[in-house]
Amino acid sequence: MGKITDMTETHNWSGQKLVSIEHMLFEAPRTKHFMTGSEVLKEAVKRATVDASVSYPITPQSEAAHLIGELWAEGYVGVYFRGENEFGVMSEVAGCSMAGARTVTTTSGPGTLRAMENFAMWSGTRAPMQLCLMARGINSPLTIQPDNLEVQYLLETGCMIWYAENVQELFDMSLAAFTVAEQPDVHVPIITAVDGFFVSHTREAVELPADDIALKPYNPYAAPLPPIDSEMPPGRFLRDPFVMKSNYISYATHASWQWEIRSAVERSKPYARKLLNGLVHVTGNEDAEIAFVTCGTASNQAKEGQRELEKLGIKSKVLKLRTIRPFPEEELIKELEGVKHVIVPEFNVVGWLANEVKAKLYGKVDVNIHAGPRVAGGMSLPAEAIIQEVQEVLNAAKGA
Amino acid sequence: MAKDSIKIRMPALGGQGAVTAAHIAATAADTEGYYAVSNPFFGAEKRMAPSESYARIGTVPIYDRGEVIYPDIVMIYHPQVITMGKSYTMPFYAGVKENGLIIINSERDLLTAHDKKILDDLNVKVLTKDFTEFAIQEAGTELATNMAMLGSLFGALGTISKPAIEEGIKDRFLKKYTASGGTATLDSVIEKKFKKKMDLIQKNLDTASAAFDLTAEWADQVGLEQILEAPKK
Amino acid sequence: MSLDIYKINPEFRDIMPKEIIDLEENATWAQNQDKPRGIKELPQTKELIEEHSLCAGCPEAATLRYVLSALPKPEETVIVNSTGCTSLMFPHIALHTVHSLFGNQNSVASGIKRVLEWRFPDKQKDVVVLAGDGATVDIGLDYTLQSFFRQEKITTICFDNEVYANTGGQESGMTAKGQVFKMAPTGKKFEKVPMWELAKTSGCHYSVNMTGSAPKAVAKAVREAILVAREIGPTFLNIYTPCILEIGLSANEGLGEMKAGDKHRFEFYRHVSPEAEEYLKKCKEEGLL
Repeated sequence: MGKITDMTETHNWSGQKLVSIEHMLFEAPRTKHFMTGSEVLKEAVKRATVDASVSYPITPQSEAAHLIGELWAEGYVGVYFRGENEFGVMSEVAGCSMAGARTVTTTSGPGTLRAMENFAMWSGTRAPMQLCLMARGINSPLTIQPDNLEVQYLLETGCMIWYAENVQELFDMSLAAFTVAEQPDVHVPIITAVDGFFVSHTREAVELPADDIALKPYNPYAAPLPPIDSEMPPGRFLRDPFVMKSNYISYATHASWQWEIRSAVERSKPYARKLLNGLVHVTGNEDAEIAFVTCGTASNQAKEGQRELEKLGIKSKVLKLRTIRPFPEEELIKELEGVKHVIVPEFNVVGWLANEVKAKLYGKVDVNIHAGPRVAGGMSLPAEAIIQEVQEVLNAAKGA
Repeated sequence: MAKDSIKIRMPALGGQGAVTAAHIAATAADTEGYYAVSNPFFGAEKRMAPSESYARIGTVPIYDRGEVIYPDIVMIYHPQVITMGKSYTMPFYAGVKENGLIIINSERDLLTAHDKKILDDLNVKVLTKDFTEFAIQEAGTELATNMAMLGSLFGALGTISKPAIEEGIKDRFLKKYTASGGTATLDSVIEKKFKKKMDLIQKNLDTASAAFDLTAEWADQVGLEQILEAPKK
Repeated sequence: MSLDIYKINPEFRDIMPKEIIDLEENATWAQNQDKPRGIKELPQTKELIEEHSLCAGCPEAATLRYVLSALPKPEETVIVNSTGCTSLMFPHIALHTVHSLFGNQNSVASGIKRVLEWRFPDKQKDVVVLAGDGATVDIGLDYTLQSFFRQEKITTICFDNEVYANTGGQESGMTAKGQVFKMAPTGKKFEKVPMWELAKTSGCHYSVNMTGSAPKAVAKAVREAILVAREIGPTFLNIYTPCILEIGLSANEGLGEMKAGDKHRFEFYRHVSPEAEEYLKKCKEEGLL
């Protein structure tokens, strides 16, 4: 079992060579593998010099969580244990991150809601932990399938939220996530969302760098708030209960602190643009008047739809959002020049992404925004349904 | 020019009964035929910590909620509000409106020349009096300081009658009242002081009444104009 | 040596308040390792708590001062706290403290302890939880007991005032049966939760129930609990620190209430596992107790 003291300037405690994130993502030679999203998360954590992880079972993230445990048994991850429930786990993760550890965890659906109180505490504490969220429907009634309504609950927690489309993207994003979250001028938690089953349990081709390299370790002393380790003068987490002095001080502090967290999320944009190769990924017909705005698996389905629509003589493009928080407003506005119809297919009953798009674009772009088609409970969204919806939108436009 | 609606800010220290005072002020105003709202604002419940409460009184419905940031009347219940900054506003009169009134419980003048100039320019009148000492003399206990301050407030307003004030006091002390732990403890302390509840009521009334009269006289002397218009009956 | 982190930058020394200078020059740090820290130093040295904002005469505040005086190595101690009256004292403590969410104190402490062991394998860092009865036994019961099941090497100290004092006096799991508090207008219907026994069955190697009436007894229990937690496993102290405001006592009546407790409801209870007993014997021989 490796000890942190085995780490040197050039190699971590598992003997992996320490490399920059740029090398890991863009330069290191890659070989092809065939694996599921859960397995690829293990591969990412393996190459990330991770100090700590806490786990708990819930479908569909249990595999990923136990695979990280195997990494711990093999010496790659410093601290690992199973917590008692998701609220406990996320608090344990908070403790790990506060004490200066690069920390990762996973959860899904009901687990996310069980843990809910922690997420705003995480961001308020400016701790850079990563939560890999494998989206699954929320009760009631119970469904284990990939519905991503839970992401809507997380939108205002102050955490960054990125969304991976497939197994490859999950690998690269979760590595970039550590780097961006840990930037001193960002330093807020990051949620890398991915659809359960559609990605976690789907096997597909991925290109991975060798596993004898790993990211440089987290430096907790470069953080905006000192870690709780008695090695630096004490900072305070969830600081002085200002409520003691006066409500005025407590609300003024809360307000300014919360604005700062949102600013920190915005400050992540330049780093994310560089490491994700852009916040929005565009595919399809460049000069299309129809644009799908998507995240996660809806991007896959929209791409299928785009291909079939092209055969029918209808041009469209897919604007896949890689980040939800921060919201890539500038990129989206630029890509929507010349677009007449925005179609937002989603895997949840309310259409939260469409609401986000409408809210952010209001008054800035002159387009028809169509919220649909939508499925819920984790149903699949076949391209046929998307094509049908596009045709209905076009017919309605002609009629009008 | 009397207004149709006024806001009163009462910065005090925990344990002085400012919350009670705001409650009674609003109840009395309500009895008199006004629209009235009262609310407290404090951090953790603690003796001697800042504890602010507000009363809003008017002849029109009151929609405003929360802290009173722009008061017509400020009542400072304890000198430490000023000397130790145990206040949610700095300076303690921040936001005070033109032609307003400040009542300060203190044995000595706590205003600087700078303060006086600002308040003068706003035509805000200031009454500084040792109401704690006054309460001890009238009721035999400093816990009646808030009653003295209340009486003073009504004396200055002039449009809320003594019977209405009596109603307010009785409502608070005779009816079943939901109080926090600290308030309940103080309630039982003051009750023990008086053999009968009615003695307590009477002493409170007498104290308020005496303060009412002396403030009405002061208001006359300094030329305090009517702040709030009379209720529409 | 972590005491360096409490050294004042020489350029700012002349504008530092006296309390901060005292903290650097004359605080009750674990400077002198020949004898363990304790109550005896309090009169001559700067305590690790600067004032406190609780009610005058609060038994919790007094007991916190005994606890801080007894930490074997305060400069290497992280204190995890929870919402309640105790959280109002924490900003005044000179050590690393964390206040997270209500009830999650043992979870946060578990994460911190494990990571500190990982990051500093050659240092002894103590993690101590300090929370009220509501946090420990009601909203946090799951996390408190689970940290015991998992054998986390942390010390949990519960300031038991048998009520949710900070929110105005509501019944808690640690309230005595029959006691009238808010939310129990006709008296509590079930018995006080014997948390010190639950601690024992859940895996604590050292569990004590006592009052805060005797400073030296508190200091001794704290020291033993932290030493056992270093080597053996989780430890628990339940200390009766009555809320004088909620039970209608005056500032100088708290001590009497605790002494009455010593005789009746809080007779001294102490459970020590065989391994912990062995270890404490060793500590005594080495002069650590």
